[in-house]
Amino acid sequence: MRHYLFPLIPVVAALLTVGCQPSVSPDEGPLRNDLLKKTTGPAVVGDRIEFAYAIGTLEGDLKNVRAEATLPGGTGTGFDRFSWYTNRSTGVDEPLATAGDTSTKGPVSTANILDVATNKAITLRYYYYPTAASQGKDVSFRFSVTSSTGKEVSIQSPTYRISRMDMKRSIVLADGAKAYISLADMTAYTKAEVEQNNLASKIDLVYIYRPTLGAGNYAFGHALVAPSNADYLKDVVLPTGLAKPRTAIDKRVDVKDAQLRGTAGFDVYIDDIDLERTTFTNVADYAYGMAADQGAFVKTADGAYAAYVYVNAVNNTAKTMTVSIKRLKLN
Amino acid sequence: MNQSLFSKLLCLLAITGLLSCGNDPIDDTGLLITGRSQCYVTFFDLLGSDHRTVLVSGQTKIDTTALTVTAVARFGTNMQRVKPYCSVVTDAIVEPTMGIWTDFRQPQKYTVVSGNRQVRKTYTVTVTLQQ
Repeated sequence: MRHYLFPLIPVVAALLTVGCQPSVSPDEGPLRNDLLKKTTGPAVVGDRIEFAYAIGTLEGDLKNVRAEATLPGGTGTGFDRFSWYTNRSTGVDEPLATAGDTSTKGPVSTANILDVATNKAITLRYYYYPTAASQGKDVSFRFSVTSSTGKEVSIQSPTYRISRMDMKRSIVLADGAKAYISLADMTAYTKAEVEQNNLASKIDLVYIYRPTLGAGNYAFGHALVAPSNADYLKDVVLPTGLAKPRTAIDKRVDVKDAQLRGTAGFDVYIDDIDLERTTFTNVADYAYGMAADQGAFVKTADGAYAAYVYVNAVNNTAKTMTVSIKRLKLN
Repeated sequence: MNQSLFSKLLCLLAITGLLSCGNDPIDDTGLLITGRSQCYVTFFDLLGSDHRTVLVSGQTKIDTTALTVTAVARFGTNMQRVKPYCSVVTDAIVEPTMGIWTDFRQPQKYTVVSGNRQVRKTYTVTVTLQQ
């Protein structure tokens, strides 16, 4: 019985030998490339995804690069003309013109490498702007580079889901003026605009600023109030025929969304799943005392939209509040 | 002779060690039941949806004789959705569990159970809203 196993020994040995052979990958040739996705947040229409595409050659010169997305990007999609290096004296990243003839046609972006005699190893930036047509779809990218020797190497990115969220930044609200917010439109209107454009059924939030409120003159400040809340809107002359939906409003002070904030340094992002799964059980129909970097999860009374309203800035003197919104259509 | 004595001491130590590893009693939630019979609240707070306190500073009163906690919530607090939490004397627990969104428009009752689980005191927590 045991002797039947003997013929297997050379087979196993051969398999082990073959399995231990070092694999030869294109990246170990004279022309190499690598890819890093710099953007950590979700791919949202209105923002971009940034890649760093590193290329280098030991033979000949770098000639041109190509990136092909599975879905065409919006305006601005393509290779950046500049690569960046850190100035050792100042520690500041500085741009250096490295690519020319950058162009994007449909899903394909190309560029030629400049100063090929010295640019033997460079890192190019590629920006991809998701479009409204690509919301909810997956996108991936294939980057490639060719050299003067005719060689070509490429690298395939993973697949990324384009967010279904809509985003609008820097909406300036003004007490008694642009105070009526429609989440469907992601726009603030004045009382006159609401009346003239028959928007009375589309208003979900009213912005007010009251330094103090109540019999005890308690601090109140900047507030978002649903039209349903008669207490906080009793001194406001609302647009004629304004519907009174009870928009659910849940204040947050620690959700500093980097995309809504518009600055680096905060790696916190509202994503589709946050707006899909946030529950609004027993939440208020107002949020008051709002300050910069705070915000509120909101859900329209008809359940059509969930959103995060982020406060970029407040101005007590001008009675204004600047907000940015990420919004997801739920049904 | 010395080696024999050392062996006996070693056995004694092992037996003592084994006995000391006996199962301490724990309750249904896996918390240790101890010998403490003290049973009272030492601190109470209430958080809003932004996870910041909604209580007016200096207005919270804990009466361990009358078994009441009274506090004042700031003007504008949504009393339907607040999250209570408290501190209790060492080893005591609170039933039902605090730290969940609770409607505090009406007084709520919480029972403090002592470390030995023999003493139970039910506190009534009343939070009024600044008007």
